[in-house]
Amino acid sequence: MRKYDLITPEGTRDLIFDECAALRSISEKLRVIYTGHGFSEVITPGLEFFDVFNSKSRHYSQEVLYKLSDAKGRIMVLRPDSTMPIARLVGTRLRSSALPLKLFYNQTIYRANPKESGRDDEFFQSGIEIIGGDVMRADIEALSIAAEVMESIEADDYRFEIGDSGFFALLFSKLGLSDRELDDLREYVMFKSYPALDEMLGKFGDNKYAKAIAGLSRLFGGREIFDEARKILPEEAMPVLERLEKVYDTVCRLGMGDKVTVDLGIVSKNEDYYTGIVLNGYISGYGMPVLTGGRYDRMLADFGADIPATGFAVNESAVAEALLKRSGGMLIPAPDVMIYSDEDSVVEAVKHCRKLISEGMTAEYADLPTKEEARRLAESRGIKRLDTVAADGVTSENIG
Amino acid sequence: MNDNKAIRIALTKGRLEKDTVGLFEKMGFDVGELRDKGRRLILNIPGQNMEVVLAKAADVITYVELGACDIGVVGKDTILEHGGKYFEIADLGFGRCKFALAGKKGTDFYGGVGVKTVATKYPAVTRHFFEGKRMDVDIVKIEGSVELAPLLKIADGIVDIVETGTTLRENGLEVIEDVVPISARLIVNTVSMKLKKERIEELAAKMKEALGE
Repeated sequence: MRKYDLITPEGTRDLIFDECAALRSISEKLRVIYTGHGFSEVITPGLEFFDVFNSKSRHYSQEVLYKLSDAKGRIMVLRPDSTMPIARLVGTRLRSSALPLKLFYNQTIYRANPKESGRDDEFFQSGIEIIGGDVMRADIEALSIAAEVMESIEADDYRFEIGDSGFFALLFSKLGLSDRELDDLREYVMFKSYPALDEMLGKFGDNKYAKAIAGLSRLFGGREIFDEARKILPEEAMPVLERLEKVYDTVCRLGMGDKVTVDLGIVSKNEDYYTGIVLNGYISGYGMPVLTGGRYDRMLADFGADIPATGFAVNESAVAEALLKRSGGMLIPAPDVMIYSDEDSVVEAVKHCRKLISEGMTAEYADLPTKEEARRLAESRGIKRLDTVAADGVTSENIG
Repeated sequence: MNDNKAIRIALTKGRLEKDTVGLFEKMGFDVGELRDKGRRLILNIPGQNMEVVLAKAADVITYVELGACDIGVVGKDTILEHGGKYFEIADLGFGRCKFALAGKKGTDFYGGVGVKTVATKYPAVTRHFFEGKRMDVDIVKIEGSVELAPLLKIADGIVDIVETGTTLRENGLEVIEDVVPISARLIVNTVSMKLKKERIEELAAKMKEALGE
């Protein structure tokens, strides 16, 4: 029995008409930005070996990966991310490239979300990776391009947020916690679970590292938080703060001051993934970040190329959705002309169609047997002109 | 919610709703509409530029997670069972109770080598609890009175919310072990926390003040 022949799997959907138009227009805008800055496109396979995503800096737990096996019984994964495949590419075929290597991608991503969570399991994502280069310069470049991306989205309101995963990498290591406790702690910080955080850190009493963790996770906002942070951070963490402040200053000088906030409570989901500046982009009307990225200096080493790198990814499906919601649908114009012919004049009709198109119009050939049906179709599609092609020439009439 | 200053808060219908409305009143909010709500599910607090949505506990989480509501008041029990990505910024202190493992009085739940069966309305909480003990258990999801399961001999124990323990006692059950304490929490959508920082922090601070912290 065919039970599932009329539906799509949970978390997937058909995109139709203006949904496609919105998505393609976003993709094109971002492609222009990326190529304008000298980035080159790569496309990686939709299917990869599981091992690619099971590296030391693995970011994805088993549960979020769509898995299948190939003819030899090897485990394959529908790519949950483009950065790791690109890291694989850099570690292999692009190994002898001059650095920094600037790449961009635009492809679908697959992640198994908890059922009925209302999230997409398949979505379009584009992004850039800057492989190699000077850390500070690359961070600034990634941020400024991300800003151009956010600006080009034309959301009602957008905000940019930067942080540094270095704080917690340093502070966590000072507490002597077990791996399990560290996982919990990381989660409390990530989700700003202040009650749980205070309870866990309360056990450390006056420990300056514990106090710094509790304080940092609450520090987000504008420039003022740097002064606050100086009061609570231990000496060892100052270089991280200075690095972040320098980036923040530069970003402000780029004129993004009113759009950028700092969150010192950003923590990397896995301690080996993000290793420095982290960024998130938000637009009003969408409940999750639409742009995420950061510095990942250790990942490439997993693929045989020990090179620092940074980048970001944009959830184009989310942006397109927000765009459509805001505009109430995109207007896709109907063709200028509908063309009808009887059976004997098919060749002339097709030629007429081509001629109109070459003159810059849009023309649709009505694959219908009678003029009356062609006229009805034109009316229902909102086409204003009907051209009838016959042996003795073309007659045009306005309709609708 | 195009107005960047407006805040939408989801409240868990029932006791947590009453407690939160009481708290709002203490904060000086005009809660007339909240008290006299009829069957409406979206309500206003005049003068506060705030909209209140009433929903079932798990839906509060869904609305906040997806950004339909900026903040929510929901029990830790639902948070633990439901999971999800949002900020949990404050313990509101009311709605206090606990998750506990209970079994028939006088029986040794942990004794023997067989795999135990546990009945619960909260399979995720139960699984997490026993995973922490590195213990395999069979979990049976029950929708109604979980206390029935050990009495009908389909489970060795139950994991459930315990307030006073009266229901357990009257059915010949007792608490074997506390799992985790529960109380009402203030949760916040991750994007709202950034885009509406001032308003949310101000509201959270006022709530804490009214709670007497």
